[in-house]
Amino acid sequence: MKRISWKRFAARMLPWLLLVMALWLVYSQVQRPAALVGVGVQWARIGALAVVMTAIILTGGIDLSVGSMLSLCSVVMGVAWQAGIPGECAAVLAVGAGFLAGAVNGTLIVLGLSPLVATLATMAFYSGLAMMISGAERITKFPATRLDFSRIGGWPSEYWILALVFAVGTVVIHFTRFGRWCYAIGDNKIAAHFAAVPVHRTQWSLYAASGLIAGLLAVVYTMHKGAIPNAHRGVELEVITCVVVGGTLITGGRGSIPLTMLGLAVISNLDIGLNFLSARVSFFTAEARLMVIGALLILVSVGNEWLAREDTRKVEE
Amino acid sequence: MIKLRTFVSLFLCILVMIAGCTGGKPNADGQRQSKSASPRIGMMPKLMGISFFDAAGRGAKEAAQELGVELLYDGPTVDSAEEQAEMLNTWVAQGLDVIAVAPNDPDSIATTLVDAKTAGVSVLTWDTDANPESSERSLFVNQAPAEEIANSLVDVMVDVAGQDGKLRGKFVIVSGITTAANQNTWMGIMTLRLEKEHPGCELLETMYPGEDQRQSQAQIANLLAAHSDLKGIWAITSVALPAAAKAIRDVRRADAVALTGLSLPSLLREYVKDGTVKKFVLFDVEDLGYLTVQVAKRLSEGPIVPGTYDMGRLKGIKVTQDEVILGSPLIFDKNNIDDYQF
Repeated sequence: MKRISWKRFAARMLPWLLLVMALWLVYSQVQRPAALVGVGVQWARIGALAVVMTAIILTGGIDLSVGSMLSLCSVVMGVAWQAGIPGECAAVLAVGAGFLAGAVNGTLIVLGLSPLVATLATMAFYSGLAMMISGAERITKFPATRLDFSRIGGWPSEYWILALVFAVGTVVIHFTRFGRWCYAIGDNKIAAHFAAVPVHRTQWSLYAASGLIAGLLAVVYTMHKGAIPNAHRGVELEVITCVVVGGTLITGGRGSIPLTMLGLAVISNLDIGLNFLSARVSFFTAEARLMVIGALLILVSVGNEWLAREDTRKVEE
Repeated sequence: MIKLRTFVSLFLCILVMIAGCTGGKPNADGQRQSKSASPRIGMMPKLMGISFFDAAGRGAKEAAQELGVELLYDGPTVDSAEEQAEMLNTWVAQGLDVIAVAPNDPDSIATTLVDAKTAGVSVLTWDTDANPESSERSLFVNQAPAEEIANSLVDVMVDVAGQDGKLRGKFVIVSGITTAANQNTWMGIMTLRLEKEHPGCELLETMYPGEDQRQSQAQIANLLAAHSDLKGIWAITSVALPAAAKAIRDVRRADAVALTGLSLPSLLREYVKDGTVKKFVLFDVEDLGYLTVQVAKRLSEGPIVPGTYDMGRLKGIKVTQDEVILGSPLIFDKNNIDDYQF
């Protein structure tokens, strides 16, 4: 137990190595570091969603509908706002819509649907609903409001939401009974049930929280850029990528929220760095960047799977 | 055990982020020194992969080679204002000196352009303008005065489908996306003139199929099926016109439905030759790209005073307080279409 095998060490160091590489890519090419704040906004949004996604994946679940919920809330807010409801009230409506959408996900899963199937279905449903409410049109011109949520203290609000969600998520998952329930459900749902873990209540709250965060992010996005029904397509995949690269096991029971932040740092810096590189090296088109990130995802998850198996074997011995 | 590891990772995470932030600073100083060298110009079309912007890109690269400047010609693969904004942010961070953009939405791009200007980038627009006040862009490289383009479009239609110089019956305008500033300006002028001079012309609701060939063709086919007495179509994006031509030819109504608009000679050659399209309007797209890079280079050296300039191979280019104008629109027909290769 005391002896650290070099293989384990290598597998654990892999994401860090990638992070160093990605950071080097970014910082060797950046000329105006201040502009990175703007570039990072979308990653802050992905990060905030990834925190909740980590908790969900810890329980062995998944939420594929986050992108659609973002679109739906954004459209709800846009339509309400344009219809003459004050921006602040429209924001409350949007957050409410997010919570409701998440609660529906949670209820479906509590009723016994597999999370994959349930959220796959609601992904299509919410996205269709967003399209229908908006008439598949972008809604961008709004009456002025007194409160502007898009920036707080000079920083885009996405960063504050990320910080808040990260802080709350870390405390809840790693320092409370609720967090230990999440791990227990992911390890073995039936065993957890017999150990008096409120399985359904835990699952339901996590999916509802996911919707709630999506609603918050949608408010900020809509304030800043307007309601664009198809702007968030595919966000869920980036979110899950961050979680998995961080080392959270997709089957549940193993992982942590700080590690997801590591995953976020790797993927975001890598994407930005390769983006910079594409200006000099024409090989790195958008497609080639996707391939690089896909290949790294395989590499890291092979390492993580192997680590998890090693640990299980150790415990059994 | 788990908690210990968590905290070590958390700590390292923060450490790396701090290291990263401080590591970025020396580069900021380095940028000031490199300013005197040849400027790095970024030029962004509405979207990549359509012939119009490929042609503009060719002209831009020609100018970049002549001037010996570094040119980055790139944009989103779909007509998305959000993707443009994200790419522009990356360009600013990367240290480009001049950015020329053809925005998909004149208003939503504005904050991004202001941020770019604050960071020290010279910003201009080309092909289609951003909101001049809120975006604070310095110049708009315009293909031709909007009135001239709009008037040519109406004139050509009167020429082809007019009865005693008047338009009568049902007509429709097919645009691209609802937020494109250039198309919206042209349509505004066209509609006003049609109302005033051609009271018999009944305009159907404008169509916005996006800059997408298949979508345009399908929507125009539906329109043709719904209105058997349609007299004419203005398709005013480079994608919509060939799509409309194909849709009309498919149902063999070229004799009944007059079609004109804006597009590239290379895309319309076959339709002009078989008579589906009699005449259409455009400007020299390659020259537009060429001119944009020429203007960008000059802008990197300082503000451009209004006047008439020779820009590389383009002579006598008019620069006003607000705009650079390439020239007058060209009208293509069976006789001259083979003279143009773009």
